[in-house]
Amino acid sequence: MFRDTTRSRAALALLVTAAAVLLLLDARSDQDPVASASRAVGESVFAPVAAGVGTAASPVTDLYERLSQGSAAERIAELEEANADLSSQLQAARLDESRADQLDRLLHLSGRGGYEIVAAQAVTRTTPRGYARVATIDAGTESGVRPDMTVVNGSGLVGHVVEAGPSTATVLLATDTTSAVGARMEETGKIGVVNGGGVPGGPSADLSLELFDMDAPLEAGDRVVTLGSHEGAPFVPGVPIGTVEKVEASPGALSRIASITPAVDFASLDVVGVVVAGPAEDPRDSVLPPVPEETEEK
Amino acid sequence: MRTAVTLVLLAVAVLLQAAVVNRLPLDWGPGPDLVLAAVVAVALTAGPAAAAGCGFAAGLALDALPPAAHELGRGALILCLAAYLLSLFKRNTGAFAGESSSSLPTVVGAVAATAFGVGLGHAFLGLAVGDPRIGLVSAVLNTCVGTLLTALVSPLVTLPLLRVRTAFTDEEFATVQGPTSPEGW
Repeated sequence: MFRDTTRSRAALALLVTAAAVLLLLDARSDQDPVASASRAVGESVFAPVAAGVGTAASPVTDLYERLSQGSAAERIAELEEANADLSSQLQAARLDESRADQLDRLLHLSGRGGYEIVAAQAVTRTTPRGYARVATIDAGTESGVRPDMTVVNGSGLVGHVVEAGPSTATVLLATDTTSAVGARMEETGKIGVVNGGGVPGGPSADLSLELFDMDAPLEAGDRVVTLGSHEGAPFVPGVPIGTVEKVEASPGALSRIASITPAVDFASLDVVGVVVAGPAEDPRDSVLPPVPEETEEK
Repeated sequence: MRTAVTLVLLAVAVLLQAAVVNRLPLDWGPGPDLVLAAVVAVALTAGPAAAAGCGFAAGLALDALPPAAHELGRGALILCLAAYLLSLFKRNTGAFAGESSSSLPTVVGAVAATAFGVGLGHAFLGLAVGDPRIGLVSAVLNTCVGTLLTALVSPLVTLPLLRVRTAFTDEEFATVQGPTSPEGW
């Protein structure tokens, strides 16, 4: 069934070897010249195409964003509203408005934290195989973006830059399984680490918190910010990560584990900011938005 | 002529995959794989060596385009092997021959089988290079969802490409089935 000519076999062997060599080179070292050269070529082709697609898709994106907000019951009302709006306003103008709003919130967040940011837009959100949670943004080394920089949006932490080309960069989202972010509880200041993916043995979640102090008070509704890394790379301090959703009872464990609701809506990632310079002082809890009223009543 | 058209269409598939499909906010993980669907069309109409080369090139292009989700060469290795095996299987068993070669169920079946194999291949290769993202549950889920979505887009990608390649057949011997591979595409 699988017999073949020698020449054809040889061709396959050559290609497989080439692929394996590329794979090993890239997996073994961080600064692989072949991989960076190929990625640079890929990037130079990708950037203009992605920009073109972005322009062409903006009316569709806008409609999708409106539809995806809210539950099924609100959807009809929103559709009617959208319909009325359509007749009165130009699509492009409204999209700009929504972008301006997101930018506004981003600027607000960076202002409170004292972060210096470069604004960018997410141009890919999924990968063909679906394992990695990564996004591509349309800002690169030409705008001052370097690997190991924090990426935020108006609501909080998005992730950090892992690969930067001249005009695009790859962001490893905080929800990726390989992502680990040093975290600090809002008031108590207890430190821990927020990992992407669910709690081991627990229900699936986007993020999970591991708190090193077994006696620290921890309950649903507590908020978590980034602790900040050495010299602000890859994470600057004070960026909101999320809210504790459920504390896992784990008898015999050495740390306390909780699932976290992300502050950022990763499904509708659009305008983001890359923190090119961290704050002079740790902003502590000042970047967090005021506590929502329903939590206060409890 | 046939080669040129195929290469252009493959490049278009790669760019569409990178710039349009990957842009979709799909919450569940994998999206449809247009490149795989296109490579299947080539593998069904070319010799094993040509199919392998085509799969290698398409996979490498997709690896090099942003986002840099995994090492360069992973996609190239798997797509190259998948295209080679499919082409060899087709040649040596005489399946997909004659009228049925471009019928809808055959094409969708070939794409689904290849997509399933490629999904498993990625899971195994990921495990082999120690990718911590790949667990049993996520591998099964991503492979099945990816296969389903790719099979769904195959009538829009594989079938037209097959038709184009059949229409541009300029060699007399292109339809000859045998263990020896004709030169070129």
